[in-house]
Amino acid sequence: MRSLLLTGAMVGIAACAYSLARFGQPWEVLVLAAAVGLAVATAFALARQRPGPSDAPDSPRPYRETRDGTLEQVLTALPVGIVIVGHDGRITSFNDAAGQIFGVSPQRAKGRTLIESVRSMEMDRRLSATLRSAVGETIEFSYAGAARRRLRLTTQALADDGGGRQALAIIADLTSIRELESLRRDFVSNVSHELRTPLTSIKLMVETLAAGVEPPARDEFLQSIGRETDRMIALVRDLLDLARLESGKAVLQKSAVDIGELCREAAATSRNRAQAMSIDLECSTPETRLVIPADQEKLRQVIVNLLDNALRHTPAGGRVRLDAHATSAVVEISVQDTGTGIPSTALPHIFERFYVVDPARARSGSGTGLGLAIVKHIVEAHGGSIRVHSELGAGTTFVCTLPREGGGDIASDATAHAR
Amino acid sequence: MGRENFHRILDDTQQNVLRMGSLVEEAITRAVDALSQSDVAAADDILRGDDYIDDLNVLIETNCLNLLALQQPMASDLRTIAAMLDIIIDLERIGDHACDIAQITKNLANEPPLKPLIDIPLMAKKAREMLRESLDAFSHHDASIAHLVPQKDDEVDNLYRSVFAELIQFMAHDAKAIGRASNLILVALYLERIADHATNICERVVYMVEGVPRKLKRSVIEFNEVLARSDQILQSSAGLPDPATSGH
Repeated sequence: MRSLLLTGAMVGIAACAYSLARFGQPWEVLVLAAAVGLAVATAFALARQRPGPSDAPDSPRPYRETRDGTLEQVLTALPVGIVIVGHDGRITSFNDAAGQIFGVSPQRAKGRTLIESVRSMEMDRRLSATLRSAVGETIEFSYAGAARRRLRLTTQALADDGGGRQALAIIADLTSIRELESLRRDFVSNVSHELRTPLTSIKLMVETLAAGVEPPARDEFLQSIGRETDRMIALVRDLLDLARLESGKAVLQKSAVDIGELCREAAATSRNRAQAMSIDLECSTPETRLVIPADQEKLRQVIVNLLDNALRHTPAGGRVRLDAHATSAVVEISVQDTGTGIPSTALPHIFERFYVVDPARARSGSGTGLGLAIVKHIVEAHGGSIRVHSELGAGTTFVCTLPREGGGDIASDATAHAR
Repeated sequence: MGRENFHRILDDTQQNVLRMGSLVEEAITRAVDALSQSDVAAADDILRGDDYIDDLNVLIETNCLNLLALQQPMASDLRTIAAMLDIIIDLERIGDHACDIAQITKNLANEPPLKPLIDIPLMAKKAREMLRESLDAFSHHDASIAHLVPQKDDEVDNLYRSVFAELIQFMAHDAKAIGRASNLILVALYLERIADHATNICERVVYMVEGVPRKLKRSVIEFNEVLARSDQILQSSAGLPDPATSGH
């Protein structure tokens, strides 16, 4: 709804309502209603204009100035892209949000055709159709501009000042929503796969055992069932840990923890596995005690996960080194391997759940795909940070930095430190 | 045909060149996405879409020739028409390269992935940026943009050398990888050519705006150098780690 002002006096009201069912979001209705309302208001106001004192050349407040100023402000403030194309195919309105979506400044876009400014064949085609037929539509399409985006375009025909036709485009950027949906689908798919694989093995082995199997095959089957069950328990435990850490519900049971001793214990636990893999596992810690306020079991999980990750990606004959040292303000725990390294383009993603650099090898390792995500959350919950340096063919180093003081009170809530 | 009509048709034809450019840009992006995701349906879609690009090519060429024959345009109008006749050849070839990549996607669909595609999508992104900016230069008749775009060709060429060396290493390590790796080398070569076509478009825009034919500086891949590097890799391949096991 909009009031019509002529030289400061209200002469009428133009209103526009539209069916919510046609649009996915209430703001789209508001935008369309505002735009159509303004267009109708313009036509109405022009029709009402009659010769009179207010139409004199020196009139202080012509209608157009008031209307245009308001419209431009409304369009600029809107969080969705708005493009209006005149009957000649040239852009008459192009707000800042549209500029951000298409990577074109509004000044550069106005007065040009859509294909010159935005260069989307899909949009050009749809808006041309709306100009021709006066029929609007809503579609979702991919836009390959400077960055690839997923957009929802709603078009609608509008009347212009001269009785001709304009086309309005409302563009919503759905890229982040679609990415989140994709992540959720991948997550469900990954969890399902990770659970189904051991369950299928267990089912087959149980069926075989039920049919009657003599020792020693029976013992091997029972051991395999035990291993597969352990794998599922580990996955479910990691999922629950991660869910608790991400939701901020995990409570850190803080106590005075000697980092050096914790590293030595973790290294001792992993040493047998390293020997079996012909990997040299070294542990270097200072002789003096390195005590910080931390959740001992959670920090142990950090070190064990990093060692596990390093061992899985280091070939036989390689070396894994666990190191702890301190400065006056922080304690640093690093795990360095001589493995195959991580491509630089993959580094920003390695702390994501189930992220694997090479999907072709995703099932060959025994990890749950959650280890590094858990590490990052635990370290951050302690008020610390984690960084990684890697070189292809040379190896990878993970460094956790934890504050010596100021990590919070003993037995504090994780969320307080995660923020 | 009056001058007003002439300028209307000339303007429409320029819009059609940009429409063709938009379709070609989209085709490159979708082709490399289809390759990364082994999406055969998307690859088929790209192959079908090439007909529309070819139709636009014919329409633009016909309009340009009609304008030349019937209007005897001069000065900047003549240069614009001449530039468009050249630009659509480059766009049509870029569209063909997108189809070549789509065909390779279909060829490799039933093969296990050789490696995660990292440098090839990056090459595609940079080549597409070059194409987009060259069409910006055409759209805005802006020679200053056209002069800058070819400088990015170095980055694409460096990526090409890197992809080439890496894939040769795969082939040296495992003969079964030769088919997949050689197909990916072709993809990288097509993307490198796309960047070259974008540079061609820039040269046409400079001529259109400045009126002087000019060869813009571009990097050249010395294939002898690339092949010599490949020989080195092949000779020392016994000492290299298995490239397929890279990554955490």
